[in-house]
Parts: sequence; C-alpha cells; structure tokens
Amino acid sequence: MPNATRNPPETGGGIDFGAALPGASGNETAAGRERIAVRNLNFYYGSHQVLFEVQETVHEHEILALIGPSGCGKSTFLRCLNRMNDTIPGSRLEGEVALDGRNIYGPGVDVIALRRRVGMIFQRSNPFPFTIAANVAYGLKVNGLARRRSEFEAVIERSLRAAGLWDEVKDRLDKPALSLSGGQQQRLCIARALAVEPEILLMDEPASALDPITTTRIEELAIELKARYSIVIVTHNLQQAARISDRTSFFLMGRVVETDATRKLFTNPSRQETEDYITGRFG
Amino acid sequence: MLFRKLMAALASIVAIVLLILVGFLAIYAWPAIRFNGLHFLVKNNWSLGFLYSDPILRHGQQVMPGAHYGILFLIAGTLLSTAIAVLLAVPIGVGAALFLAEGVPALLRPWLSFFIELLAAIPSVVYGLWGLVVVIPFLGHHVFPAMQKWLGFIPFFRGPAGSGYGLLTSGLVLTLMIVPLITATLRDALVSQQSHLRDAALALGASRYEALWTVQLPGVRRVLIGSSILATGRALGETMAVLMVSGNALNVMPNNIYTTISTMASFIVSQLDSALTDPTGMAVKSLAEVALVLCLISIVVNSLARVLLLYQDRMTFGVI
Ligand SMILES: Nc1ncnc2c1ncn2[C@@H]1O[C@H](COP(=O)(O)OP(=O)(O)OP(=O)(O)O)[C@@H](O)[C@H]1O
Ligand SMILES: [Mg+2]
Repeated sequence: MPNATRNPPETGGGIDFGAALPGASGNETAAGRERIAVRNLNFYYGSHQVLFEVQETVHEHEILALIGPSGCGKSTFLRCLNRMNDTIPGSRLEGEVALDGRNIYGPGVDVIALRRRVGMIFQRSNPFPFTIAANVAYGLKVNGLARRRSEFEAVIERSLRAAGLWDEVKDRLDKPALSLSGGQQQRLCIARALAVEPEILLMDEPASALDPITTTRIEELAIELKARYSIVIVTHNLQQAARISDRTSFFLMGRVVETDATRKLFTNPSRQETEDYITGRFG
Repeated sequence: MLFRKLMAALASIVAIVLLILVGFLAIYAWPAIRFNGLHFLVKNNWSLGFLYSDPILRHGQQVMPGAHYGILFLIAGTLLSTAIAVLLAVPIGVGAALFLAEGVPALLRPWLSFFIELLAAIPSVVYGLWGLVVVIPFLGHHVFPAMQKWLGFIPFFRGPAGSGYGLLTSGLVLTLMIVPLITATLRDALVSQQSHLRDAALALGASRYEALWTVQLPGVRRVLIGSSILATGRALGETMAVLMVSGNALNVMPNNIYTTISTMASFIVSQLDSALTDPTGMAVKSLAEVALVLCLISIVVNSLARVLLLYQDRMTFGVI
C-alpha cells in the first residue's frame, strides 16, 4: 500500500509484541501528526443524549483504545467518526469532528469518500453472503477503484495477506465466505476494509466473539497495521487495551473521563473514576 | 431424539400425502391416460362427443362416439398467463418490498405493510370479479387498442385486440394476486435481516442504494426465490379469478397477447358439469388427467427452483 512507503513506522510495531506487553505503548512521547480532532461532540438518539462534550484526538500511527462500561457510548462515538450514525433515524449531532483539519460534518462533505478513508470493523463479523474473493473486492467494485481482473486479484491477495488470511484461503477464494470459521470471517472483514486503502481504521470490539488464540492473532494484526494506519479500537478487555494501545480513553456515561498514554492511565490514572474502573470496582 | 423422530415422521407424512394424492389421481385417470395417449398433450381438440348416442368401444375403452381430449391449448394458456404474471410480479414485488423496508417513513410503514398483507389474504374470486367489472372494460376499450396500435410491430402484440378478456388480462389479474405474496414475505425478510450487512456495505463506501441492491437484496435471495415459487404455484393453480377474465377459449392456441385462453385449473371447474353427463365417465377421467398434468407441471417448476436454490450460494457478485 502506498502509505507504507510514505510513512515508515516509528516503532517496532508488532514485531516485538510477545516480548513487551505494555511495551506496545512505547509510543507515548512520539505521537505522530494529528489526524482526527473531535471537539465538543454531543450526540442524541432522539431526545436521549448519549455523548456529552467529548474531546478527543487521534494521531498518525497510533492505536487509541476506548474503554468504559457497557452503554457508555463507545460505539456511538466510534460511529460518529465515519458518519455511520447518519443512517439512524432521529439521531442528531452537535460539535465538530475534523479529519486532517476539515470538519466531516461540514457542508459539501462527500460521506462516501469519507467512509472509504475511515474504515470500520464491526463487533459481529459481517461478511457478505458472497464468495471470499467477492467480499474483498466489494469496496473496490462499488467505488470503481479497479477494473481489470488482474487489478482485483492483486488487491485481493494483498489485502488477505495484510489481514493474515491469505495462506488459509488462497486455494478457496471462490468458496462462500460464510463457510469460514468465526475468526477467519473477522479477518476477512478486516481484509475487506483494507482493500479500499483506508487511512484510519475503527474497530468496535473486533475480537469480543472470538477465542483467545484468534484474539491474539487480531491483536498482532492491529499492531502490524498501526505502521500504516491510525487505529481506534473499542474493547471491553482491559488487558487487550493495555497490550496493544498507545493511548487509552476512558468513557463513562457519555463523557470522556480521561485520555492518556496507556501505560500512564493503567498504572497511574489522574481520576478516581478511572482507577475504580480499571481496578474492577465497577463496570 | 424423540423430537427428531417426531419431526422425521411429520416430514414423511407430508411426502406420503403428496404421493397418495398424485397416486389416486393417476389410478383414477388411468383409463383416460391409456385412451388419450400422447394425443392428450399435443392436440387441441377437447370434445365430449355425441353424448346422446350409445357408447362405442375404442382402444379397448368405452367412450362416446366422436370424443377427443387434446389439451395443448390449456397447457399453453396456463404457462403463458403464469409466465406473464411471474415476470411482472417479481420486479414489482421486489420494488415494493424494498420501498416498504427502506423508503417509507417509519410512521407509515406498519400501515402499508398491513394493507399489503390484507391484499394477500383477499379471496381470489374478489380479484376475479374486480377484473371482470373494472379491468376488462378499461383494458378492452382503452389499453388494448392503444397497445395494438403502438406495439403492433412486436409479433405477439399484433391484433386483433379483442374485447378485453384473454391472456394478458388473466396475466395482469394473476400479477395483482401474487405481488402481495412476494412483497409481504420479502419485506419481512429484509426487515429482519438487521442492519449489519447494510452497515458493512456503507462502511466500505457504498451508497444507500448500492447497499440495498448489492448486499441487502442478495442477502434475502433465498426468500425471494422461495416466495416466487409459492407465487408461481398460486398462479398455475388459480381457478376462479382466471375463469372470470380469461374468456374461456376452447381448442384454440393463443396467437397473440390479447387472445382468449383457458387454463387447466379453470377448465376443470368450467367443464366438470358437462363432463359428468358423459355416461362412460371418460370425460371426468380426462379432467382428472388434466389435474394430474397440472400437478406434474407444479412439481417440475418446484424442482427447477430447488436447483436454483442449490446454485445460488455460488453467487459471486460480478467480476470476481
Ligand atoms: N440506534 C440506537 N437508538 C437509540 N439508542 C441507542 C442506539 N444505539 C445505542 N443507543 C443507546 O445509546 C447508549 C450508548 O450506546 P453504545 O452502543 O454507544 O454503548 P457502548 O459503550 O458501545 O456499549 P457496549 O460496550 O455495550 O457496546 C446506550 O444507552 C444505548 O441504549
Ligand atoms: Mg458497543
């Protein structure tokens, strides 16, 4: 992918993953360029306000983890970043979400182009009921990014390799995607998202329905992908947040309690609520 | 264990009932099958013969003199009117289902869906009567003459346009009857499909329309195929509505889209009375043979659709 050559990784990425678990957050001082800036975000489902004055930034080549108790608005926040909430009738948003300095809720924004730049992986893997290859090709096809068969094939292979799935499926690309295992399906969804070359990846509890080994696989993948993308990941698994993220944001009842370097937040949080949460006193 | 056995027993009962039905029909119609031979399927000469003379012996069977039973025109009328109905109803039904599932304001949706279900529940004789009173005068006076004039260059649309009774009218009334079937089933499937496929498509940069067309609809294609089979079955077997608008043609092949026709199901009903006056019973047995052929056609159509269902998993979505 072009981004890879343009932006060499600043840290070792996933290579030394096994050796230093919290070490994945060795990035805390060397934060890259700011990609997403969220200011004073309020979000409502009808009259029910779900997000309150949220401030957040996402930098280049970082993994930002969102943690917090169920129902605190993490998914809602994530979906604000690629305007997926637009499809929910009666929802309303105030404030600003800027991608590279431009408000994505401003006038004249091309939502389709936005969603191509800001890809999303869902909690429940959701492959299309097509073949494996057709799943990966989908984004290329609807966006008219490829024409010839050879172009499709190149992107399919590259994306499946990047998602660590190529070796397992290369002989059965024409088989139904739904014949894959749960973990394979989720990695297929990642490959599908990578195929359109997004710049930022949003992951909403991508491993919550998967077994530990597959979870590890997806965590490794996230760290590898960080070299080329910015990643925002929602997780219920605090160890997971600690293992893979550079910075962590703690959400509580629709507010960001604190955002800090992961190591700092998990060892020495500034706020009492955060400490209560990460020490398991509630949530 | 017990449950599985019970289910297996129930499933086999259904199969057995079907076998018994077709079996008895076949046994009853057997003399007619022997008497008519292949003639039955390839000739257009249904005639009960001279009912007031004495029966004669032909091919070892007691029949009335001059009796022939050839029903090619019935097969043609049935298949053509059903084909028109299904070809029109599938796209209309799909469009209506998509509209109901996605395009209608949420407040209106339950009402419209309720009306569609109501339409699906209306007895067919009501459709027939409505076709007779409203559709036929309108088509016969306004639409068919215009079609003959403007579409006459297409072979099957060339005149004479007739009175309004006939093939196209039957097809249209059948369409109206089966559209609600397809719409109601497909809408339920689309609504219960939940949003995860749509979300996946949107997140990849598809527009709402593209998501609908490329992902959500293919996601319910099993239901679409299934409901189309049911609809085809209903159109093939529809009796009263067709009887009232088809014009009840006898022994003529439809040669344009306006000609009067008869279908197998409506023919059985309309001929039963006179067939019962045949002292040899051959006429009724031949009607039973018509029913048997109708059954076989339905079975063939269903089997073809099964094959389609088997292959639909191979769907590849365009290029790759
Ligand atoms: N489509 C919707 N319509 C109305 N309310 C919604 C909708 N989606 C979420 N909510 C409400 O918004 C609040 C936040 O939900 P959200 O899904 O963002 O929480 P979450 O932090 O992701 O929770 P979890 O960890 O359980 O996934 C909840 O109170 C939820 O009931
Ligand atoms: Mg959530």
